[in-house]
Amino acid sequence: MSDPTLSGPALSGRIRVALADDHELVLEGLRGLLAAEADLEVVATATDGTSLLAVIAQHQPDVAVMDLQMPMLDGASCLAEIRRQGLPVRVLVLTAFGDGESIQSALEGGADGFALKTAPPRQTIEAIRQVAHGSMVFPPAARKWLLTHKLEPGPGLSEREWEVLELVAQGLTNPQIAETLSVSENTVKFHLQNIFQKLGVSNRTEAAGFYFRVRGTRQPDNR
Amino acid sequence: MLPPDEHLAAHRILAVTEEELQRIILNIHDGPVQKLFAALSQLNLLQAHAGRGRLLDDEWFERLNRVSNLLETSLAEIKVSLGTFRPPEFARRDIVSVIEGLIIQHEEFTGCRVDFESQGEIPRVSLAAKIALYRILQEALSNVYRHAGVERASVRLSAEGRRVRLEAADDGRGFTPPPLVGPEATERVEHIGLRGMRERVSLVGGTFAIESAPGAGTRIVVEVPADE
Repeated sequence: MSDPTLSGPALSGRIRVALADDHELVLEGLRGLLAAEADLEVVATATDGTSLLAVIAQHQPDVAVMDLQMPMLDGASCLAEIRRQGLPVRVLVLTAFGDGESIQSALEGGADGFALKTAPPRQTIEAIRQVAHGSMVFPPAARKWLLTHKLEPGPGLSEREWEVLELVAQGLTNPQIAETLSVSENTVKFHLQNIFQKLGVSNRTEAAGFYFRVRGTRQPDNR
Repeated sequence: MLPPDEHLAAHRILAVTEEELQRIILNIHDGPVQKLFAALSQLNLLQAHAGRGRLLDDEWFERLNRVSNLLETSLAEIKVSLGTFRPPEFARRDIVSVIEGLIIQHEEFTGCRVDFESQGEIPRVSLAAKIALYRILQEALSNVYRHAGVERASVRLSAEGRRVRLEAADDGRGFTPPPLVGPEATERVEHIGLRGMRERVSLVGGTFAIESAPGAGTRIVVEVPADE
């Protein structure tokens, strides 16, 4: 985009996307399609899991779209690593396989959504928007799995503490969280102390990692 | 029961068949699906760019839409066959997880509902027994979908001493089960699936029973030995 009127704040609402797939043709096709959408921006691409981790660290995209089958570090391991490091990125799995196990792997790995290469590409685009806005995008049959599998025992956080934890997971600082929730910074610190204690974690990164792991099991979370 | 040597051979046959399938499925995956998806992306971009009546007149724009629909349809068809034949990672998952995956897939492909109950601790079973249980349940659920005339089935997994029992039942229209063994054993084409289920079970030293009658629903019961 070279149009100067489109730079700056006008662009701040765009969803920043990283694409990872070992099939160059797929990357090229998707990149072109995303470039035509005013609200989406491809900030980087990668052809294996290891590069995707580097790309996420460098560009901090809102959404990473990744295949489960990739060389070097496969998608499932890459997803696990993203969650372990607590990287604040939504992950959309994009795969050729719509079988039960692929859906299971995406759920178990803590993906935010699941899209198929055997479905029209516009569905992938729509799924990118939905996960960017915090929705879980999975086939209806996966809902039962989400309800019956508690990935962690419930830590007993209050609604307010969940709110704070979510903002921490999004990478906000204490002053930013205070502003978002219209409370004082001291209140935020107080909540954080309780959250860390309840989760048995010692820092924000670990707390964020916990949030991403269990988020799928808390259903009334759709905005 | 088969003697130990033949038992081993039978196990190998089941595992090798699944490995072959995995290979074929990977070939399809790495070829046509990726290219079709990429082609469809490019085509969608072209459709958006050309716009109706802008670069192309109505007739040619319609042709473009038709190509796009054809590609979408072929991808949808590939989706079901990839899902049906692609084996899960049997070695990595326990039997409960393998069955859960199959149920997600069946519900997704058919829109049917499957109630699953796993009772208590389920002992480990051999790789071959896991494969047999998976393929048998897949066939059974497919039978419910195609023949029973109902959109709901229930599946139960339990332990019976040193055996693992799998039951699948529906309240559908039922049928008169043919004899599967002995001199009267059915040779009819429509019974291939049933015979296959029984043969898979006997290869892993298990038992297979089918209970059904017209109007009374159908229930299959499979038992396989737990791993030593």
